[in-house]
Amino acid sequence: MEEEIEAQISDLSITKKKTEAEEEDQTLIFLDSVDDYLILIQTLSSTLRQGWLELASARHSMGASRVNTALLSLNHRSAATKLDLHYPHNIDGSITKSPQFNLCKWTSTDDNNSSMEKENIEEDEQLKENINSLESENQESSLESSKGSETVASPHKTENNFQKERAKVLKMFGTLVSPKLRASQLSFETALETLVKVANVRSSILEAHDALVKDTKNLKE
Amino acid sequence: MYGFEAMTFNIHGGYLEAIVRGHRSGLLTAADYNNLCQCETLDDIKMHLSATEYGPYLQNEPSPLHTTTIVEKCTLKLVDEYKHMLCQATEPMSTFLEYITYGHMIDNVVLIVTGTLHERDVQELLEKCHPLGMFDSIATLAVAQNMRELYRLVLVDTPLAPYFSECITSEDLDDMNIEIMRNTLYKAYLEDFYRFCQKLGGATAEIMSDLLAFEADRRAVNITINSIGTELTRDDRRKLYSSFGLLYPYGHEELAVCEDIDQVRGVMEKYPPYQPIFSKLSYGESQMLDKAFYEEEVKRLCLSFEQQFHYAVFFAYMRLKEQEIRNLMWISECVAQNQKSRVHDSVVFIF
Repeated sequence: MEEEIEAQISDLSITKKKTEAEEEDQTLIFLDSVDDYLILIQTLSSTLRQGWLELASARHSMGASRVNTALLSLNHRSAATKLDLHYPHNIDGSITKSPQFNLCKWTSTDDNNSSMEKENIEEDEQLKENINSLESENQESSLESSKGSETVASPHKTENNFQKERAKVLKMFGTLVSPKLRASQLSFETALETLVKVANVRSSILEAHDALVKDTKNLKE
Repeated sequence: MYGFEAMTFNIHGGYLEAIVRGHRSGLLTAADYNNLCQCETLDDIKMHLSATEYGPYLQNEPSPLHTTTIVEKCTLKLVDEYKHMLCQATEPMSTFLEYITYGHMIDNVVLIVTGTLHERDVQELLEKCHPLGMFDSIATLAVAQNMRELYRLVLVDTPLAPYFSECITSEDLDDMNIEIMRNTLYKAYLEDFYRFCQKLGGATAEIMSDLLAFEADRRAVNITINSIGTELTRDDRRKLYSSFGLLYPYGHEELAVCEDIDQVRGVMEKYPPYQPIFSKLSYGESQMLDKAFYEEEVKRLCLSFEQQFHYAVFFAYMRLKEQEIRNLMWISECVAQNQKSRVHDSVVFIF
């Protein structure tokens, strides 16, 4: 009997330690998410400031008659960039409550010849890492170098298409625009990507917060 | 005969030359710009400008101010000064003064046509037009579908009519055609202004040739840099360069094939007057090129006041005033965006 009670007490203490460890993990995840969020907000703010100043600089360079709101096109067209929202699945197959946002850049369907691949920002970063690692291994074998060139060609072609789409949008200010206006466009594009990251990080903050509250409740029980 | 303008210039031009030299002394100095650069808000800028000749134009503007309001009111002052000089001028000075505004007229025509293509309201577009470039039938531009109609319906009765002979087509107006039309018109205007000044002769011809040649060369460089990476072909690019200037014709041939800013630098550094401009820039950089060109232009414009009895002082004053308005626009934007550390990126001191 005493042995059974001792076994139960040791089981309870192990369970308590596991629950405390899980709570600490959840707390760390939550704090990491908040840290990422604050860094992203700061990055977004500086990118937007840069973009607005570059736009003012373009206006200063090209003249007010070439860069003003009256030139924005009111013609009906589909959006050049779209935002997808989806709820990923858990390991057990259930749908999570936290949404994930994906940015699809330059996917205008006005012109069928210029339809773009759907771009996921996380996949793009992963692809760039793959390119870097592949480029470093290029010297080892010719087979690896041919694989590397095939992989590099795909994002290079995509980037060329992006450049064409960017130029198409900028045409509302004229065909021969200042490099400052192009730089401004890139800054706002970067800001848009950062906004999507902010939304995803907020989603993970809320998820981590919910998990933390749940663990704290379990611990008290 | 060159050198004898002192005997006859003052008969018709003496009063207006005195007027324009008086206006020149009213341009903002480095001390004024230093005060303006330290302003915290646009209302502070308005307060500092109230002590200058812009005071009467800004005093009735309610808060909160906007940067476009400041630019608009400062431009109104320039327009009033110009109209006063124009109504007092006799030939050929009146024609010379009208030539100064044709550039703005071209910009207004392109603004109306582009805005109409983008389905914007004509009244909204007219509000954005530069006042110096307005003419009576400008609103009728909105009905034209191609350049032939543009010419036939509206521009045939304007001073821009002679410049249209090189770009009349029946093609529908689109973004590329409009851009080519803009640059072709401006090229024709500069060449016509240049010929007119040569016909005037004397100090006017000498000083204006230098100023217009610099303008033509700067436009060639800007067209080259702005067309890098676009679908404008080399031949089309070459056609947009003016047929005079220091870079004509060999510099233009080299600029036409440039594919990046460093190649442009390589071409321009062969010309001693432009070497100091490009030596200020680091390799691959084009951000500060505009400021470098503006500084060189201001230097040449100020030098034109060192000589008397010529019309170039009027051109120089108008350009210096436009530079001053650009400076005020930039300072206002930096203050409004709380980016005062960047204010000296684009301010060009005149004195």
